[in-house]
Amino acid sequence: MVEERLGERIGLREDVIQRACKLSMKAHDKGKPYLHEKTRGTTDVLLAFPGSWCVDDWYTRDPFGEVKVDVSLFPCIRSVGNEEIGLVNEAFARRFDALLNRSSLATEVEKAMSEGKQIIFTGHSSGGATAVLAAIWCLEKHIRPNHSQTMPLCVTFGSPLAGNHVFSHALRRENWSRCFVHFVMRHDVVPRITLAPLSSIQRWLQAVLESLNPRSQFHLQDSSAASGFLLSVMRNALSVASHAACILKGCTSLLLETVASIVDLSPYRPFGTFIFCPGNGKLVVVENPDAVLQLLFFCLQLSPEEENTEFLCKMMRDHFLYESELQESLHMQDVTYLDSLVNIPLEAHSTSKYSAALNDLGIMAQARLCLRAAGELERQRMENQRRIDSNRDTIKEALKKIHDYKTSCEIRKIGYYDTFKLQKDITDFNANVKRQELSGIWDEIVEMIKRYELPDGFEGGKEWVELGTLFRRLMEPLDIANYYGHLLNEDTGPYMVKARPKRYRFTQKWREHAEGMGAGGSAETTFWAEVEELREKGYDEVKGEVLRLEEELFGWVRDGWVGRDVFLEGSTFAKWWKTLPHEHRSGSCIAAFFKN
Amino acid sequence: MEPETSQFESSEMLATYLASTPLLEDSWRLCSRANADAPQSFLVHCAGKVGYLAFSGVQVVDCTEESCRKLVELEVYANGLFGGFCAAGDGDREPIMMHGGLLQLFMMFLNTQNFLSKIDELLLKGCKSIVCTGHSLGGALASLSALWLLSTMQTNSPSIQVLCITFGSPMLGNESFSQAILQERWCGNFCHVVGQHDIVPRMLFAPATPIMKELVILFHFWQLSMASPCLGQLASQLSYEDIVEVFRLVLTCAEKRCGETKDREGSVFWPFGGYLFCTDNGAVCLDNRVAIVKLLYLTMSKGSAASYIEDHLKYESYVGRVCLHYLRRRSLTDVSFSESSSEAGIAFALRSSGIEFQEAIYGTAKNCLAMARHIGCRRNINNAKMAVLLAKVNPLRAQIEWYKKFCDQSDDQMGYYDAFKHRNTRRGSKVNMNRVKLENFWDDVINQLETNQLTHDFHKLLKYVNAAHTYTLLVEPLDIAEYYRTCMHKSKGHYIEHGRKKRFKIFDKWWRDRKVGDEERNPRSRFASLTQDSCFWARVEEARECVLHLTGERDSGRQSVLLDKIVKFEQYAQGMIARKEVSVDVFAKNSSYSVFKEEWEELKSQLQLLPPRFPVSQESTVQDMCIETENTYVVRFS
Repeated sequence: MVEERLGERIGLREDVIQRACKLSMKAHDKGKPYLHEKTRGTTDVLLAFPGSWCVDDWYTRDPFGEVKVDVSLFPCIRSVGNEEIGLVNEAFARRFDALLNRSSLATEVEKAMSEGKQIIFTGHSSGGATAVLAAIWCLEKHIRPNHSQTMPLCVTFGSPLAGNHVFSHALRRENWSRCFVHFVMRHDVVPRITLAPLSSIQRWLQAVLESLNPRSQFHLQDSSAASGFLLSVMRNALSVASHAACILKGCTSLLLETVASIVDLSPYRPFGTFIFCPGNGKLVVVENPDAVLQLLFFCLQLSPEEENTEFLCKMMRDHFLYESELQESLHMQDVTYLDSLVNIPLEAHSTSKYSAALNDLGIMAQARLCLRAAGELERQRMENQRRIDSNRDTIKEALKKIHDYKTSCEIRKIGYYDTFKLQKDITDFNANVKRQELSGIWDEIVEMIKRYELPDGFEGGKEWVELGTLFRRLMEPLDIANYYGHLLNEDTGPYMVKARPKRYRFTQKWREHAEGMGAGGSAETTFWAEVEELREKGYDEVKGEVLRLEEELFGWVRDGWVGRDVFLEGSTFAKWWKTLPHEHRSGSCIAAFFKN
Repeated sequence: MEPETSQFESSEMLATYLASTPLLEDSWRLCSRANADAPQSFLVHCAGKVGYLAFSGVQVVDCTEESCRKLVELEVYANGLFGGFCAAGDGDREPIMMHGGLLQLFMMFLNTQNFLSKIDELLLKGCKSIVCTGHSLGGALASLSALWLLSTMQTNSPSIQVLCITFGSPMLGNESFSQAILQERWCGNFCHVVGQHDIVPRMLFAPATPIMKELVILFHFWQLSMASPCLGQLASQLSYEDIVEVFRLVLTCAEKRCGETKDREGSVFWPFGGYLFCTDNGAVCLDNRVAIVKLLYLTMSKGSAASYIEDHLKYESYVGRVCLHYLRRRSLTDVSFSESSSEAGIAFALRSSGIEFQEAIYGTAKNCLAMARHIGCRRNINNAKMAVLLAKVNPLRAQIEWYKKFCDQSDDQMGYYDAFKHRNTRRGSKVNMNRVKLENFWDDVINQLETNQLTHDFHKLLKYVNAAHTYTLLVEPLDIAEYYRTCMHKSKGHYIEHGRKKRFKIFDKWWRDRKVGDEERNPRSRFASLTQDSCFWARVEEARECVLHLTGERDSGRQSVLLDKIVKFEQYAQGMIARKEVSVDVFAKNSSYSVFKEEWEELKSQLQLLPPRFPVSQESTVQDMCIETENTYVVRFS
């Protein structure tokens, strides 16, 4: 078997990586917002962003200076059902905003995209964070509306972590994760810096950043500053990694939660493909974000003989070595892909290639257990999806029963909403039992999504989005009927405000996300709840809302999202509508529906 | 295959996480300062959002009285001090008990020190969490203070986190105490750091009385050393043999406890909360009390008389080293481990606990960790499972709802409650079966919750709060009907006082404590689908009995007591009806409530003179309420 070269495997050619690295370093010198390079004979466009060595461009405040992402720029960076908005380092986000507003980046990208060019965003150090945000922005702006365009790529070198776990989740869901490639030298401290709260490193940070600036001649004179800084970053990286490992390993102690609620923990997490450089010309490629986080700490662990100032100062130089290191390693092509984490050997002397690569990174048995746990979680998620997928037929069958029930009700000219609400016959009772069964299945799915126990791509999966919509359109009217039939609104308040089950909220958001609709774009299944609330009020009071609902209903019925059974004589809606003033009814857009 | 338990040992990782945070080091620094600078008192320190209360280990426990050396009943000795905490114990167990001397010390503390004002100061400075900490006896004070804060602050300022970190603290209470901490979901608020051979956390395995004299001298020595290390010259009053005797006793008692397989009954001390075992090789953290007892013994078994004493003073080095330890890369060439994640994880954890592979106790220790992990099985999985189980029992509930509808419309006009009470159809017995199945389901929920198998916020998840509430409203009337149908009230007393099951009380509490918005509540337009007081029918039964007794009662004193009860019930029922909080079955022609009204009307017409018992204003509200209902009658007071 011929081994694939790294470039083919990750979809980014070796020569492009090298040029990107070179350009990234050059970007620091020029004082321009970004550098731009095309290569003759290819469609490649390289955009390289400079870093900054000023504390304010790294942390806006203690402890971690994170803010929610600007949803107008990054609408996809959230979880769909949970609606958890991604958190981004505010300082990095500001730099990107300024770049977008004050430079020609937007037009340049626009032009390159329209010409079908392959854009590669790149950056070294904090320039990498800018490159990442620019790449996500480009994906949101150009790829999301038009999947056929050439996907941009992003490659960073020693970039600090810029976003929280939602970034990884969302990028994997959108299938954009593969566009991001991060190179990390084993001992480069920069990718770990944002794991530490500002207060813990503040006293050294300015001096350290100064010494990391390739343009300045400043060297850390004080070796105690270097060791103090490194130790503090390592300690905080340990905190983040061990906390994550506790969860990966299924720790059930409540102490974990109590302590985590008292001590601030960095929100920043890796995303995309990470390529670790042990420094001997080899490369280790990891995609699992949980495993990357563990490696970010464990690669830094020092052996007793390394605990001296000389070594620590050498560590600080790793940040500049990307160009030369990559030149060697991309040539050597000694690459290990850690893609089967559950099978990692624990024994350091094991003869497998995995073990040798891990030894190069200083990953010993206990760290390897953490990597296995990360792999196990991923495996468990796939397993969960398989289990959930096996429910699809049961769901479809139950939905068919409900569909039959609906048809049989329509024959009696009442509609299944009102028939169900009355609960007179055994068929109503049976439909109710089916409703409970289906609720159980869907509640379980929602529960798993809330805890991120399914693969990140789940909420983007076409089949489930469609099944969710089918389920919602058939079943939600029955839930509403049950709610108002039992007068639960009198105890709990309106259905929409207080009682709408998450299984419907989630499935609605799935569709809205998949179709690129705004919030509420697919609210057709809550029609009955709106009717129930409106009919309790006087016409004059809710005139505007009635008009709006009628207009919406017109569209829904036209598009087949809502069935015509709502207009049947015996339905709550028809009965109520007929009590509306004559002038209203005669001018209503839905008047015609009642005639057929 | 669904893994019930994670294959990964996490006790060492948890210890690593705790050690990597600044909490442990900060706490210790303050403890050692409190030891030196604040004997018999405590220090307050504010570090950003975290406020510290550090109790000095130099304290005087009065042990002259017998009651001060052993467990005393918390409810008796500290009446109400810990709010509702005492009541948290349940009927079948021993009451919650604590060490008498330590409890007394804390209570004196609370009375004499300006404790509350110091805490208020911390909160005013913007502290979002309070860490109570202490070394040695100070640790016991820290535990009691944290417990006191948890039981009182939960109502006052629930957003404030409380954490207790003790160093070499003695145990404090019995098993019921430990269990109550678990049930309150507070076991994550206590972290007891234990040095490898420190004798103090293990001391109370042994009875105190026979070694009292030696203990007093030992503590005297420790406290001198805490105040100033140079003072610490072990006084010569204690012969070597005496000390060895003390340790031998503690070791034997600990070994005995370690070997016990069943829960031991009767007043012995049990650990509570989490334990962080520190050694020179690392640390592990556990929260299973059975495993902690075992490990307390297993880790000390290799100690010497000197290390038992010295380790109590070695926390400075333990705390300082444990984090550094995990920052270093270790090749672990001296540990033999298999390629199995589970086995290897345990091997590393045991090595960090100072238990070597070659030792005889290795097997016991290994089983102990495996057992703890198994019991602490993943709550998340259980939660998700619970959702599936709930969905499975929901059809049973739907059938009962269906039955209620049937009864309410049936020709005999008995209504739901009475129809079930006098049931003689197959349908009724089927519903009874459903009732029993639902009972099993919900009892299982409570059992899992109390044994810490579900997530800590389970009882706050609206889904379950609502489901439990609906269950209560729907099914408790059936339980009441069954109770009176089988005449349990004659042997045990009335339902509300004597027959109501724990689960309903718990569900009522969930419902009361749930988060509700403060928006205005519209009055009901129609009668509720389920009577909003699940005990309504039990109250009807009691009122009917009062009417019955009143008929034969000649003693005017007792007469007035009964009358009082009936009128109170009547007011209550009318209020419920006026607010439309009852379901239609109450008005069925042959329902117990209708029968009560008839009987009461008749009795009233017989009783000519009823003395007014209420002020006029109240009387008028009663009348106001009555006017709104169609089944109105007005009590005529002459």
